[in-house]
Amino acid sequence: MNERSVVGKPLPRVDGKAKLTGRAKFTTDVMLPGMLHAKLLRSPLPHAKIRSIDTSKAEKLPGVVAVITGKDTWGIRYGFVDTPNYPAEERPIAEDKVRFIGETVAAVAAIDPDTAEDALDLIDVDYDPLPPVFDPEEAMKDGAPQIHGEITRNTSCAWEDWGVARKSHSYTPVNNVAARVLVTYGDVEKGFAEAEYVREDRSRSPGTSHMAMEPHTMVASWDPFEQKLDVWMNHMAWELKRYWLHKTLDIPIPKIRIHKTYIGGGFGGKAPCFDYEVICAFLSRKLCKPIKIELTREEVFSSCRNSHRFDINIKTGVKKDGTIVAQHCSVIVDAGAYKCSAPVAMFLSHAMCDPCLDRKNVRHEGVAVYTNKNFNFARRGHGAPQMRLAADAQYDQICEDLGLDPVEFLIKNLRKKGDVIPNGDRLDSYGLPEAIKKSAEAIKWKEKRGKQRDKNRGVGIGINGMFSGSGYWPFASTAIVRLNHDGTITLMEGDCEFGQGPDTTYCQIAAEALGLTVEDVTLVSSDSELCPMNYSNFLSGGMFVGGGAVYNAAMDLREKLLRVASEVMRAKPEDIELKDKKAFLKSNPKRSYTFTELMRYHIQKHLGDPLIGHGYKKAVPEIEFYPSLSKGTGRFTDAYGFTASTAEVEVDRETGRIRVLKIVVAEDSGFEINTAICKGQLVSQAVQGMSDALFEEIMDDEGRVLNPNLVDYEIPRAFDIPEIEVIDCSDFEPKGPWGAKEIGECARAAVISAVVNAVYDATGVRVMRVPITPERMFNALKAQEKK
Amino acid sequence: MDSSKKTINVKVNGESYEVSIKPKMTLLQLLRNELGLTGTKQACMDNSCGACTVIVNKMAVKACSVLAMQVNGKEVTTVEGLASKDGKLSILQEAFLEHSAFQCGFCSPGKLMSSTAMLDELENPTEEDIRRDMEGNLCRCTGYVQYLEAIKSVVQKRKEGKI
Repeated sequence: MNERSVVGKPLPRVDGKAKLTGRAKFTTDVMLPGMLHAKLLRSPLPHAKIRSIDTSKAEKLPGVVAVITGKDTWGIRYGFVDTPNYPAEERPIAEDKVRFIGETVAAVAAIDPDTAEDALDLIDVDYDPLPPVFDPEEAMKDGAPQIHGEITRNTSCAWEDWGVARKSHSYTPVNNVAARVLVTYGDVEKGFAEAEYVREDRSRSPGTSHMAMEPHTMVASWDPFEQKLDVWMNHMAWELKRYWLHKTLDIPIPKIRIHKTYIGGGFGGKAPCFDYEVICAFLSRKLCKPIKIELTREEVFSSCRNSHRFDINIKTGVKKDGTIVAQHCSVIVDAGAYKCSAPVAMFLSHAMCDPCLDRKNVRHEGVAVYTNKNFNFARRGHGAPQMRLAADAQYDQICEDLGLDPVEFLIKNLRKKGDVIPNGDRLDSYGLPEAIKKSAEAIKWKEKRGKQRDKNRGVGIGINGMFSGSGYWPFASTAIVRLNHDGTITLMEGDCEFGQGPDTTYCQIAAEALGLTVEDVTLVSSDSELCPMNYSNFLSGGMFVGGGAVYNAAMDLREKLLRVASEVMRAKPEDIELKDKKAFLKSNPKRSYTFTELMRYHIQKHLGDPLIGHGYKKAVPEIEFYPSLSKGTGRFTDAYGFTASTAEVEVDRETGRIRVLKIVVAEDSGFEINTAICKGQLVSQAVQGMSDALFEEIMDDEGRVLNPNLVDYEIPRAFDIPEIEVIDCSDFEPKGPWGAKEIGECARAAVISAVVNAVYDATGVRVMRVPITPERMFNALKAQEKK
Repeated sequence: MDSSKKTINVKVNGESYEVSIKPKMTLLQLLRNELGLTGTKQACMDNSCGACTVIVNKMAVKACSVLAMQVNGKEVTTVEGLASKDGKLSILQEAFLEHSAFQCGFCSPGKLMSSTAMLDELENPTEEDIRRDMEGNLCRCTGYVQYLEAIKSVVQKRKEGKI
């Protein structure tokens, strides 16, 4: 098996024919007989008490079947973070209070979407406005409006179900603080005392939209006879969604089936539980009818999760030669009206940084703050893009201040392969050094850095590290590989296909193990009833954990096949090879038995066992539950991916417009299972990162989103795309399937920093706030001229 | 019959339909809800993303912004009409597959229709022509690079006389 014949190749995607002919079924394409459509009434106020809601006129509108309000769903709670310390506080429909513009206050089910929409206008809500607060630093001050009262323990959380002894407890947030994190190691004060140069900077990354092409949609169908709920939905992890539906609606887990649909893009934005999902299922059960909820693009921007705004204060102490000796990061996360993943984001902003560079003495403190705005979730990197921008832009400036070269600065502070970082994670693979060198070469760093300002051109560099999955309920991914009558296999694994390619890469992983081709694999994926337990493939847990389970299952079947072949052929298993649906002697390939013959033999001689492979993988085998989010202690992941990115830009000093000329992404994602898919993931992130640096920001005024559409919220189009060079700097990951690890999230953060630092190199003006819009650039250039 | 409804005749992917519709129905709603052709996708509903692009009488149009009434007597091609009925992909579909020019696939039908119309109109489009055509189709996954490569490969094959 030394020669790889299926993995490591740019094979065509297995979902291609379906997606390119219009036959691929997305949730929006699901239409069931008798299906009703529901629409949601959204709060027009950022903070108000609900005195009363009169739904009588809406109920009388012909075609309306039901109207529900918070009275119907009173007490239902869920949340992405639902731990003993942080019980969930999200609710499907506002009860006695609204906390942001766009919060759901009522839902209408009707015979068609237009009727449901019309009925929303007939609902009278009597609000008593409360003073709102929009800025996290204002919200933390004494006397600021309090967004949450007591957050009561309502649903028992996954922790308790999985045996954590501690019960969750109620708590009341003080000064709108949703959560805090404090991670320290080394001796920060001593580190700063030893520093020969200390710099402190502030940066801001705004909230941005995931902007997946498919707007959030769900179809739910309740069968009153079987007491069973069938669901088609936008998700990135059906196991989690099913669990939340089970918890919120008290339906047994096996009585909920999430069917496979293709997901029209995720980027993190479809992973948590949403109000409309609970409402959709609630209405279906109440009415015993299929219900469809399709959100509008405006609702996606204003009422679904966006990425977190981070305000970061970063203080770094270095020796004159650039050796980092201490760092103190303070991050303020704008949680929005509910905390969702904010406690995780501010922890991850540390955890993703730590594998990259050795900073020796570190204090990372974070606070997540409630504000009267739409709330937020992970977007491709979850905390890393915001933190990397703060760090990499500051390193760039430190180099400028001390006359150092940023590439050499990064190389000087690298960790080493095999290092155990402070939380206990070991860097068994670490391709970052090579990635930095190659990305610098590809942009012609030595020739260009600091030498093109007369042409308003510059180059910059950024880096990032990203976990390959982490401890998260349900902890394990599992896979089953069935041997079929003709020697082909059927692979059953639960990860969902939202564009990143697991359907294809997992078939490759299994085929390689058994000497088969991708065409020999029948895939059953992403269906909660047909697939075994699934950890999910958001949080970059796809390839390393899900793909790892597939690898283990295929290897299990391989071992079984070799064992039976050795019995039949009277040879040692190690002398036998599998290829073309046959087992043969390595020394005499003509002496062979087909898989079909081996299966028949095994059924006859071994109690009817038809040969089934079974495999599983846990993200971090050593830990039972989650790492501590508030202290950052405990093992976190078994493998990190790494990126170094460089960029070249040209700035028009008259208009402030920035043109990106080239982006280089040098990536260590372990062994690349499908090189074309890997290239797609990296180009995708190069473009998203460029867009974060220059275009994207959720603009709001008094809590109202000002740009909730694709005209005002600009994402790159074809003419915006610069030359993009992707360089494979993979370091073989011993624990990964065929040596693979994550690739989907790491690069974006590195690209943001590379572009921002290139802008500095081009202009001599440091902008620590993205996006660097033409207006911001222009103003910064004018300020420079005044100096 | 509902008196507010109008009857239109339209040929879609080579098949003739007579449909009774409300005047305000869009072409997108006609295709998806009345004819069951769900390959054409809805993503913005304000003419900005191109996911619903179809071909009407050889011209690429955004189906969310065209009334069904406007296609009365016309020929519409959707993504379902690109491949042959016995399962052979079009040259452009093959190129998308070969170049991994799609990821989530939600915007792919619109891209395919837009580029198909462009390649029918221009014998030998330049990269500028191709990018101008791609401007109307937003994509969040691919970053457009492999999508561009796929179209260029078709143009190259034409130049070489291979197709």
